[in-house]
Amino acid sequence: MATVMKLGPVTRVEGHLEVELTIDTVNGVQQVVDAKSVGAMFRGFEKILVGRDPRDATHLTQRICGVCPVSHGMASSLALEQAFGVTAPTNGRLIRNLVLGANYIQSHILHFYHLNAADYINTTGILDMSPWTPRYTTPDMVTGATASALVTNYVAALAMRRRAHQMGAIMGGKLPHTPVFVVGGATDKVTADQITQFRTILTDLRTFINNTYIKDVQTVASAFAQYDTIGKGPGNFLSYGVFDQDNAGTTKLLKRGRYTGGSFQTVDVAQIKEYVKYSWYAATDGNKNPATGTTAASASKTGAYSWIKAPRYIDAVHEAGPLARMYVNGDYRAGIGVNHRLMARALEAKKVADAMDGWLNQLVVGQASYTYKAVPATGSGIGLTEAPRGALGHWMGIGSSRINRYQIITPTAWNASPRDDAGRLGAIEQALVGTPVKDINQPVEVLRVIHSFDPCLSCSVHMARPGEKAELIINA
Amino acid sequence: MDLTRRDFLKASSAVGAALGLTASGVLDLQESYAKEGGLPVIWLTGSSCTGCSVSVLNSIYYATIDNLLINTLDMEYHTQLSAAAGALAVKAMEDRRKAGGYALVVEGAIPTADTGKGCYVWPGMTMLSAVKSYAANATMIIACGTCASFGGVAAAAPNPTAAKSVQAVVGTAKPLINIPGCPVHPDWIVGTIASYLSTKKLPTLDSNRRPTAYYGATVHSACGWRTQYVGPSHHSKGKPCTTCHSSNMGHIIAGVLGDSGCMYGLGCKGPLTYADCPNRRWNSGTANTPGMHWCVSAYAPCNGCTQPNFPDGMSPFYAMSGTATTNTGGTTSGTTSGGTTSGDRERDDD
Repeated sequence: MATVMKLGPVTRVEGHLEVELTIDTVNGVQQVVDAKSVGAMFRGFEKILVGRDPRDATHLTQRICGVCPVSHGMASSLALEQAFGVTAPTNGRLIRNLVLGANYIQSHILHFYHLNAADYINTTGILDMSPWTPRYTTPDMVTGATASALVTNYVAALAMRRRAHQMGAIMGGKLPHTPVFVVGGATDKVTADQITQFRTILTDLRTFINNTYIKDVQTVASAFAQYDTIGKGPGNFLSYGVFDQDNAGTTKLLKRGRYTGGSFQTVDVAQIKEYVKYSWYAATDGNKNPATGTTAASASKTGAYSWIKAPRYIDAVHEAGPLARMYVNGDYRAGIGVNHRLMARALEAKKVADAMDGWLNQLVVGQASYTYKAVPATGSGIGLTEAPRGALGHWMGIGSSRINRYQIITPTAWNASPRDDAGRLGAIEQALVGTPVKDINQPVEVLRVIHSFDPCLSCSVHMARPGEKAELIINA
Repeated sequence: MDLTRRDFLKASSAVGAALGLTASGVLDLQESYAKEGGLPVIWLTGSSCTGCSVSVLNSIYYATIDNLLINTLDMEYHTQLSAAAGALAVKAMEDRRKAGGYALVVEGAIPTADTGKGCYVWPGMTMLSAVKSYAANATMIIACGTCASFGGVAAAAPNPTAAKSVQAVVGTAKPLINIPGCPVHPDWIVGTIASYLSTKKLPTLDSNRRPTAYYGATVHSACGWRTQYVGPSHHSKGKPCTTCHSSNMGHIIAGVLGDSGCMYGLGCKGPLTYADCPNRRWNSGTANTPGMHWCVSAYAPCNGCTQPNFPDGMSPFYAMSGTATTNTGGTTSGTTSGGTTSGDRERDDD
């Protein structure tokens, strides 16, 4: 007999997420047989951006998310640079890479320890106070010395992620929400002293990643080996590529590419379509590319259950994130599942941190980090990058020297999307189907699968188009 | 004379006022608190980017976050930190609400269009309803960040969800402190909580309900480029001042981003913005020690993120204040301007 339950709030994610689960017993195993992923907050950034000076976009779009603001600053800078017809000079590219890298490290550490680890550790007798109680406590959680060691590292990791932001602010001015990302480069002028201080913290972070973070992922993965294959999802990956190694952006530390239906392919963003059959938008908005799409909110639409649209690449569901990037780039292809997402994220933190040391060497004190270009009367641009959580794109246009359209598709839109018009479940929804649930009152297995994607909901809820009044009725 | 950035930072510190409660003061506080049990906190997030929470995780000047969570606060619900999910988390929150005796912290603005359905804090419970019911039983309310304090980016024109500030939704029947910033600086909220716990009183607030300890002076008043500040009479509107950009005049004006000098002509809103950023700076690595940088020392003009009219009244960010600006179809805030309520000083022009 199937049970339908709503799990909400899903905590230890960014933003507002609920999931509706259908749980039944199949072949003697109680498990998820159907899932609906629901984004439950809406602000309307596209409407907010239209009509503004284009140069404000690198700052306003960062406020979409305070965990990955730098990625939005990067995507916005790249889109504006295409629209303005300017390229950041080498120092500017390097500063942006370094501030973005610092935030990657901060975000990945935050994810494993502070968002994710509570699913695996029984902290009874170790941290018997809120916010660590109340909690689910299941027999499979690690206890004893292993648990104590992980909790000790959870506390140490709070300091390490703080230091990662401290490091990023050496060139970024402040974090979250760095003011130095501008169309044309970065405002900061790097000094030898800054490089030295940045490198000092980077060295400590690299030690922590190598000796603690990666080892703790191995500990958890070993204790929960069944999660190598639990939570597989669609098995397709999308990466726009990130961390440009040259000013034209032709070579990246993690390359642009796809893994679709078992083979590696190139990415042409003109192939992206968003579907809305199960999203609260009019049917006429469906099957559109972000550059030319329309949006008419339709909050009472029968059958719809989410404010997130369903982005698809040539009608296939794709997962975004560290596993996608590392898989496409050839750095990690050990498998697809919860543990592989955790490990790929940790190994990516190492890869990025190691590369940052090289970028520090490439900075030239005294060279320009910014190229001025006046605001054009018209223009259009696409900025593609990768946030810690996956593929991020900004599509924008300028008319009469003002923003006349701005569209954003975030990684969590790819991951937490609802079904598309053909009924294909989104990535997290697919990953949840088949997940065992031993105790329906403590569905920690569901949390482990969801958390492995590191969802960021503020990014993923779609934004209305100009002229559309938002009518909001969420099916509860 | 060409002011180097090092000179600029030294000049900022020399002008600086006291930064408020010191780390040793908070340590005393923590010792006394450990005996009594922590301050219960319910932290509700609305139309938010979570940047304020991330910023609070960066706290170190007065206390680190682990110190706060273990020794000072009973964080009974926080979306990013709480181990519990679903019904278990809701029960914990609701039990505390019924018991009372907690501080309600609100991050993000509150959407009010369509009876608040732009944000749910748990299935069936809108942020609008939750803020009202949790405010009713709270002993005090802290609006954390500019969105909660004044609407902020969430309420930027045309404000598709009719997002509002905490004050606009629940009024001031309960003690309410606004701690704006985009994001909030961790010291501003941690220091305010520490001050409240040690004195058992609200700190002195300005007319925007911001603690004067942190928001009592403009960014401009402590800025290291201040000796180089040249007001609008020396500038052509919207253009950098080429007449002054020579050592003969003794004024150092930034002509384009990245130049040393006053960035007023590049859109710096420091004269309009109340915050202690020049002295406290951001992302410190050491207790009782300011950070290395802030926006201006990274050659980025201040964009006024602690002010009630952020962002619309500060937009375009790179247009000189005092020039007429409009932003979007729909309502606008008109010209850039300073604090709009009585009691705040006029734009600091000297």
